[in-house]
Amino acid sequence: MSWLVVARKDFEDSIRSRWLVGLTAVFVLLISAVAYFVRPGPGEEVSANAILQLAGDLFVGTLVPLIALVVAYNAVTGERKSGSIKLLLSLPHSRADVVFGKVAGRSAALSTAIIVGFILPAIILAIGPFTLEFGAYLGYTLLVALLASVFVAIAVGWSAAAPSQRIALGGAIGLYFLFVPFWDAIQFRLQMAIASLPEWVPLTSETVGNLLFLANPSSAYSGLTGALLAGEFMSGETASLQLSALSMLLFWLLAAPLVGLLVFERRDL
Amino acid sequence: MSAIQLSRVTKRFGDVVAVRELDLSVESGEIYGFLGPNGAGKSTTINMLLDFVRPTEGTVEVLGEPVETAGADLRERIGVLPEGFDVYSRLSGRKHIEFAIESKDVDDDPDEILDRVGLGDAADRNAGGYSKGMRQRLALGMALVGEPELLILDEPSSGLDPGGAKEMREIVEAEADRGATVFFSSHVLGQVEAVCDRVGILHEGELVTEDSIEGLRDETDSEETLILTVDDATDDDLDAVRALAGVSGAAVDGTTVTVACESAAKTEVISTLTETGIEIQDIETESTSLEELFLSYTDGEGVVGTDGEAGSTPEPPTPEGSQ
Repeated sequence: MSWLVVARKDFEDSIRSRWLVGLTAVFVLLISAVAYFVRPGPGEEVSANAILQLAGDLFVGTLVPLIALVVAYNAVTGERKSGSIKLLLSLPHSRADVVFGKVAGRSAALSTAIIVGFILPAIILAIGPFTLEFGAYLGYTLLVALLASVFVAIAVGWSAAAPSQRIALGGAIGLYFLFVPFWDAIQFRLQMAIASLPEWVPLTSETVGNLLFLANPSSAYSGLTGALLAGEFMSGETASLQLSALSMLLFWLLAAPLVGLLVFERRDL
Repeated sequence: MSAIQLSRVTKRFGDVVAVRELDLSVESGEIYGFLGPNGAGKSTTINMLLDFVRPTEGTVEVLGEPVETAGADLRERIGVLPEGFDVYSRLSGRKHIEFAIESKDVDDDPDEILDRVGLGDAADRNAGGYSKGMRQRLALGMALVGEPELLILDEPSSGLDPGGAKEMREIVEAEADRGATVFFSSHVLGQVEAVCDRVGILHEGELVTEDSIEGLRDETDSEETLILTVDDATDDDLDAVRALAGVSGAAVDGTTVTVACESAAKTEVISTLTETGIEIQDIETESTSLEELFLSYTDGEGVVGTDGEAGSTPEPPTPEGSQ
C-alpha cells in the first residue's frame, strides 16, 4: 500500500501548513460568528439547521473550494519545483501512488481541520437558544469535508497535469471561478442553447439541466446539504437526485486525479 | 551481471542533445565514478536510470530490468541520492528516514542511520532548518535504508566540507564492502580517484573515456604535455602532428600550441611542426597529472581525446536541460 505511505507523509506535512490551519480557522470563526450573532427573538425556537443553512448560503460553498484549491494546487508542481519529488520518486513509489496518495493525504488533513474546527460552532449552537440536531450537524460537517476533498482532488489532478507552478496557480484560479461564481451563468447559457432538443436525443432538457447542475461539485454539495438540513437526506422527492449528486462528487474525487495522472505519467520531471 | 546497462541511449530536450548514443555498463559490486564537468549530461543520465526522464532513443536497464516497464518495485532494491532535491521543510530528519523505511517496507532503526550519516543530534529538528550539507547527509541516509543492492549517488559530496566528503567516501566504501554496487557522479576527480574501481568521463553527452584509475595513471605516466610558443599556427597545421604515432591530441590557442604525446614522440612532433613552416620560439614540457588528464578530456580546449573524433572539435557546452 505504497500510496498509503505517501498519504500519511503528505498528511503530516500538510497538517503543519500555516495556510491550511489559518484558512480553516478563518472559515470556522465565520460560522461561529453567524451562530453567535444570529439570535432568535424571545420565545422563538430556532433549529441549528437554519443557522447552518444560512452559513452555507453565505460562504461555505464559496470558501471551502477556495481553501481546498489553495491547499492543493501546488501538491505536485510545488514538489517538482523544489525538487522534493525526487526524494519521493527515488523511493519505491509509482507516480500513481504519488498522485492518489496526495489526494488522500491532503483531503484527510483538510477534513481533519474542518471536523476539529466544527466543534467550536457546535458548542456555541448548543449553548445558545437553538435546538441542535447532532446527527444533522455531524452529517453537515462530513459533507463539508467531502466538498473539500473533491476540490482537493480536482486541484491535485490539475497540479499533476500542469507543466509549471505558475500554470498550476492560474489554472486553480480559473477552476475556482468556473465552479463557484460563473457556473450558474454557464449553466443558464447552456440550458438556453439546448432548450429544444432534437427528438433523436434520448434526454429531456430537464435531465440535461440536472446534469449540468450536478456536474458542478459545489451545486451537488448544496443540493445534498439542503436536503440534509431539511431532514430529507436520501429520502423524499429528491432522493434520486441526491444519489446522483453524491455519485457525481465521488466521480470527481476519482476522475480528476486520474486525468492528471495520465498527463503526469508521460512527463519528464 | 550488469547492475546498470545503457545501450545507445540518446536524450534530447527540444533541440538540445543532453546525452548522445551513450553505451555504459556497470558491473555488479563495483564502485563506478561517473565524471564530467557540469552540464555534461551526468544528471540527465542518472535521471534516466531512475525513470525521472525517459530516453528519446535506446534502452536503460537497472539490475537486469528495463526501468521504463519495471515500475516502482525496482526502487526497493536501489538507494538514491538525487541531485537538485529538496527536503520536506516541515518534517524532522527522523520523519524523513522513517518515511524511507516505511516506503521500502523494511525494519531499519532510524536512529542508527541518522548516527551513521552524522545527523544523530539534529534528528528531531525540522529539515527546513538544515544546512545544504545536512540535507545532503539526510538524503544519503534515506538512500542507505534497506541495504540496497545498488546505490546511485548524484554529486554526493556537493555541499559537504572536506571532513564530510571524507565520511561520504568511507560510507561508499563500507557499502561496497557489504556487496553493494555504487554508481556516483562528480565533477571533481579528487573525490572519485580514492574510491573508484572504474571511472567514465562524460563530455557533452558522450562517454569520452572509461578506465580504471590505474589505467588512467598509466596513461599520464607515459604522457607529456608539450607547450610550444610559435610565430603563427592554425588548427589545420596541426593535422600532420595529430597523425603521428604516440600523439594523443593537439590544439592551438593564439601563439601557443599544446600537444599531448608520449615522451619518445617529442622530437618528431617538433620536426614535423618545423617542416609545416611553423617557427618555434620556445619549448616547455610538463608531465600530465591525473587532474590535467581529466581536464584534457573535458574542457574542449587544449589536448583532447585519444580516439580521434571524440570531442576534437570544441563545441559550445550543452546545457543540462532537465530541471
